[in-house]
Amino acid sequence: MNAPDRYERFVVPEGTKKVAYERDTKIVNAASFTIEREDHTIGNILRMQLHRDPNVLFAGYKLPHPLQYKIIIRIHTASQSSPTQAYTQSIDDLDRELDHLKKSLEEEKRRYEEKFRQGY
Amino acid sequence: MEGVSYQRFPKVKIREMKDDYMKFELRETDASMANALRRVMIAEVPTIAIDLVEIEANSSVLNDEFIAHRLGLIPLVSDDAMGMRFSRDCDACDGDGQCEYCSVEFHLNVRCDSDQTLDVTSNDLRSTEPRVIPVDVAARSLASESGGFDSPDQRLDLTVRVVDPEAYTYDEEVIKKAEAMGKPGLVEIYAKEDSFIFTVESTGAIKSYQMVINAIEILKQKLDAVRLQDTVDADIGELTQHLGRGL
Ligand SMILES: [Zn+2]
Repeated sequence: MNAPDRYERFVVPEGTKKVAYERDTKIVNAASFTIEREDHTIGNILRMQLHRDPNVLFAGYKLPHPLQYKIIIRIHTASQSSPTQAYTQSIDDLDRELDHLKKSLEEEKRRYEEKFRQGY
Repeated sequence: MEGVSYQRFPKVKIREMKDDYMKFELRETDASMANALRRVMIAEVPTIAIDLVEIEANSSVLNDEFIAHRLGLIPLVSDDAMGMRFSRDCDACDGDGQCEYCSVEFHLNVRCDSDQTLDVTSNDLRSTEPRVIPVDVAARSLASESGGFDSPDQRLDLTVRVVDPEAYTYDEEVIKKAEAMGKPGLVEIYAKEDSFIFTVESTGAIKSYQMVINAIEILKQKLDAVRLQDTVDADIGELTQHLGRGL
């Protein structure tokens, strides 16, 4: 059988970087980030977060092939920013959003359980 | 550019919470975040399952492979899974999956001495780790989401009352009705695109609330893994690009 090994979906091949950065040779402030062993989960949240950055002129991602476990994110920014800066910023913002979400959920759980204790 | 942030501050409200079922509202974020959490809960929150079976003696009517497969389907209490290692990247046992950091051992020793059929269930499994035992509930897991709707606009002297905004599926019926009444544009409907209702059902391996917390944690770890490692290289790349333009 020629089915790919199951572990190939999450093990980054030896000698390959998790994230490879490649600058566009024709357009300034444009670059592609090839991310190994990730899919729509990461691709889509990064893309949508990049769209919130007013310095980002274009942000898109693609999953080139369902059996090639990698995604490519392309970013084009205005001159005040750069693709690497926008990329890092989007990860920072998402990370903080998740911190906030976790804290909110923990607080909400306490509130919810308190409501039950009071026999609501 | 220090201090710039385009971060969102999502809000949550729990509607219902039990060990194996939870319903909550997630607001002030977008579909990509809701979908990422859903996908992580379904496919990436770790649980513990039987993966390696060594059979010493089996004289039952069921063959070894059949038994090994059935064992792999038993849901196990997985509260400790987040703190364990995947055996494939465990350096304590070189990925053998035989050490305390990445595995739990079970023993199954049953013998039928009567002429009746003997039932062998997950109750017969003896765990060497009391925190990891089979979950005695039917395995069923599902997570889904759906968007709510805004109340329709209220204009003129006509009042449209929304009894249950979540029960309304967007079918344009009210808009057609308004047109038929000679008042086109009277009713407008907008989907609330920043609000989601999550339903989380667990096999019992992890409590539904913990499942959501773990999903948030896993997503954070995933984001951390895709950070640029060679920021220096990238910055130098940008710098030479700028210099090149300046010359
Ligand atoms: Zn190990």
